[in-house]
Amino acid sequence: MTRLLVARDVKRDYHMGGGGGLVHAVRGVSLDVDDGDYLAVVGPSGCGKSTLLNLIGGIDRPSSGSIEISGERVDTMRDADATRFRLLRVGFVFQRFYLMPALTALENVELPLAEAKVARKERVARARELLAYVGLAARLDHRPTQLSGGEQQRVAIARALANRPRLLLADEPTGELDAHTGAEMISLLGQVNGDGTTIVVVTHDEDLARAAKRVVHMRDGVVVDDRRQDGS
Amino acid sequence: MTAALFALLFIQAIDSTPPRPAPRSIAVDERLAADAGLELGDRVVVASAPGGAGDTVIVAAITRGRADPSEVARADYRVRMHLDELQRLTGYGDRVDRFAVGTTSASATDSALRAINSAAFGFRAHRSRDIAVETSRTFLVVSRFHRAIGVITIVASAIFLLCIMLLKVDERRRDIAALRLLGISKRSIIRSVMIEATLVAVLGSAMGVALGWLASSIINWHYRGVYRTPLAFAVVTPGIVELAVALSLVLGLGAGLAAGRRLVRQPPLDLLTGRHESRRTARAAA
Repeated sequence: MTRLLVARDVKRDYHMGGGGGLVHAVRGVSLDVDDGDYLAVVGPSGCGKSTLLNLIGGIDRPSSGSIEISGERVDTMRDADATRFRLLRVGFVFQRFYLMPALTALENVELPLAEAKVARKERVARARELLAYVGLAARLDHRPTQLSGGEQQRVAIARALANRPRLLLADEPTGELDAHTGAEMISLLGQVNGDGTTIVVVTHDEDLARAAKRVVHMRDGVVVDDRRQDGS
Repeated sequence: MTAALFALLFIQAIDSTPPRPAPRSIAVDERLAADAGLELGDRVVVASAPGGAGDTVIVAAITRGRADPSEVARADYRVRMHLDELQRLTGYGDRVDRFAVGTTSASATDSALRAINSAAFGFRAHRSRDIAVETSRTFLVVSRFHRAIGVITIVASAIFLLCIMLLKVDERRRDIAALRLLGISKRSIIRSVMIEATLVAVLGSAMGVALGWLASSIINWHYRGVYRTPLAFAVVTPGIVELAVALSLVLGLGAGLAAGRRLVRQPPLDLLTGRHESRRTARAAA
């Protein structure tokens, strides 16, 4: 299996204002993720799991250490390159969806495709296809305020998959959803992974963590446990 | 009719007068006609004093005053009548306070001025243009005063608009942060903010012009009624429209650019978590 993500001794420190001193959010995490894997990062609040996800996605830069995705160093990328990288190589799903309120579901999914300069006809077709894939073929022209939380998260997943990224990063994707809708989301993420997309998800949701192939436990900025769900 | 008089004369309507040979005619302005209920063909008595003996005349014309700002606030009425009759009624004979001389060319005006000023003791001749300039000085001052008020209003509105624009863009920092996280470039975000700012500026200036036109129509309708004049008290000229649109575009685009650049300079995570707000607050507190 191809190695998709390689993180070595990644650290992230924050200088807190107002005399708060230095906070070590991530303290030397090393992680390898294979192509097609489904990894859940779990741990108590403030253990550094979201920070790790942001570092992997090129949203934040490590204080030291290195992160490679498909052989590309993410930690040393210039801002513009990191932006382009996020557009084309990584998909993001957030707890609060962050859909554009003025745009329809279809337009929200079209957004990253338009930025990637995909021709209009092709991007509309791709957006339709993705919304059908997440079960929202009948809700194309609805705005986020006309959609339920679960539907909004489905749109967010469709948007994250728009440019066919190999890696999908999700930060508490079921955090805003009720148990039933959360279960649907877990099923959808399983389907996405089954179709070949590598997933790294940060969660408190035990059901979601159970659905992953591999679970990494973090505490106080370090990985304290890393095991496959089959027990290996 | 050969003479005009600001009505110092007293006009009295009569119902029935014994027939006299060929009554003279007069012209009255429309305000007088409206106030006195006069119509064309009415017979009236004109006299130099209330109740005094006068002449019976026929209203032969009702005139409309010129759109002259210097006459807007004047409450007196204007009557035109034959010169000989005017002389007889007022008892002034051929004495006059002022008179106008029509000339055929600029050189004729110059020679007429020279001739009158050298020959007519007690009189001073002026070009009508010079008199107009002299009498309109007050209006020039008022006009400059209005312009100053306009400039102050525009500057204040510009600052207000700028602040509103900055606030409106700042309100959308989460959307912008999310776009940045999704891989939308800074340039694309600034471009979309600018397009929106342009649309807002164009629509805003169009609405402003429409509102200005409506307001000027109401103002003109009201004051034309009050002063009974065809004068335009408020006008929206093409120059004003051009200025408004240009100013709106420049301000809107400037504010959009400033707000957009300010936001994309912030790390998206800080925008999303509101960390920039806490930093700002901390700086303010410091």
